[in-house]
Amino acid sequence: MISEEQQDQAALYVLGLLEPHEAAAFESELNANAELRDIARELREAAGVVALAAPPQPPPASLKQRIMRELAMETKRVVPMPTRRGSFGWVPWAIAAGLAIFCGLLALDRVRLKRELAEIRAADPLMQTTFFTLAPSAPAPADAKATVAWQPGRQSGVIRISNLPAPQPGKDYQLWAVDAAHEDPISAGIIRVDKNGSAQVRFKSVKRAEHVKAFAISLEREGGVPKKEGPILLVGTA
Amino acid sequence: MAETSSAQQMLDQEMIARIGRRDQSAFSALYDRLSGPLYSLAMKMLGDPAEAQDALQDVFLQIWSRAGTYDPEQSSVFSWTVLLTRSRVIDRLRARGRRSRVVVASTEDSSTTVAADASTVESAADTAEKNDEAVRVRSVLNNLPSEQREAIEMAFFEHLTHHEIAARLGQPLGTVKARIRRGLLKLREQLRT
Repeated sequence: MISEEQQDQAALYVLGLLEPHEAAAFESELNANAELRDIARELREAAGVVALAAPPQPPPASLKQRIMRELAMETKRVVPMPTRRGSFGWVPWAIAAGLAIFCGLLALDRVRLKRELAEIRAADPLMQTTFFTLAPSAPAPADAKATVAWQPGRQSGVIRISNLPAPQPGKDYQLWAVDAAHEDPISAGIIRVDKNGSAQVRFKSVKRAEHVKAFAISLEREGGVPKKEGPILLVGTA
Repeated sequence: MAETSSAQQMLDQEMIARIGRRDQSAFSALYDRLSGPLYSLAMKMLGDPAEAQDALQDVFLQIWSRAGTYDPEQSSVFSWTVLLTRSRVIDRLRARGRRSRVVVASTEDSSTTVAADASTVESAADTAEKNDEAVRVRSVLNNLPSEQREAIEMAFFEHLTHHEIAARLGQPLGTVKARIRRGLLKLREQLRT
């Protein structure tokens, strides 16, 4: 149970009104209290929308050009690491090799998935399949990944997941289709991963989704929810 | 995020993820989506177009460099960028050793205090009309009890501390804290419905 005093502190914290020592103490409390974290998030969202009370003022068109120019210059300013012949000279090569292997595995993954869909395609040669690569966003592990093969004609697809650890008890992963014609993401069902954090599942969209722009996996209450509530772990467009 | 649908939140997160992978087209798309409200916020707090543009440039370059640190468990992309903007603006105000020039008592009043020529006002009005969510949020804000809205706006736009707000309003500190807390919770609750 969160006291009113804690809620007061949370409100002041999200508005940046606490003194540094008060903010540090409150952050320690936040780290130890999930319920307080939820309240802080709610208050942060409310504080965010207060910005919309400002009278609308479109920025000048030239500002975007200026920022994009600056971005290009920033990118150029990233100087490549000098070649080092010291004892760690092998590190960049090891990273490059690791990346190459990772890319190779991803490509292999995709090829396998395509092969498994060949049979379905054969039954309906006109059927279109769209592939979505889902990338992790915190708090998912950085190496978690998923590929979705989506067949709009059949309103079904196949998802392959890897490196996504099983959720804690009382939670499930839920797949969502983000469709341009629907305000909220459409549930495509619960996805259960094995002990290695992998899954390969056929799924169907709960509602008709004609214009799917992205797929996402969120962490939800056990058994799933009709409308997304939890954090997004993986998301990606075609 | 109350400001947009869950679907839009997912797309925002996807854009941030792509920006984290150095995708300039995603950055450009996110700019198109968020620059309006963020610039409006900077203008309201700074009251000067040149400064607001500089602040917005800082913010977007920060989004570019910090996209990888964005945590969806902490906040929506919209709130993250709003609070980032507010923080940058406050840094500027502090650096200049002065407070925000904004003089606002209510959101209704503020819409009439913008110093702009007729075309800017028309353009701003068009933007508002196009953004149903923003209109709804302003309506919800205007429906908050005036003392709660006043305390929130003083804290948010003028960056007055709760002590300063209490002194300005001649109210006990506890009352001001409660007004801010109740107002934010009510705002969140009403935007959910």
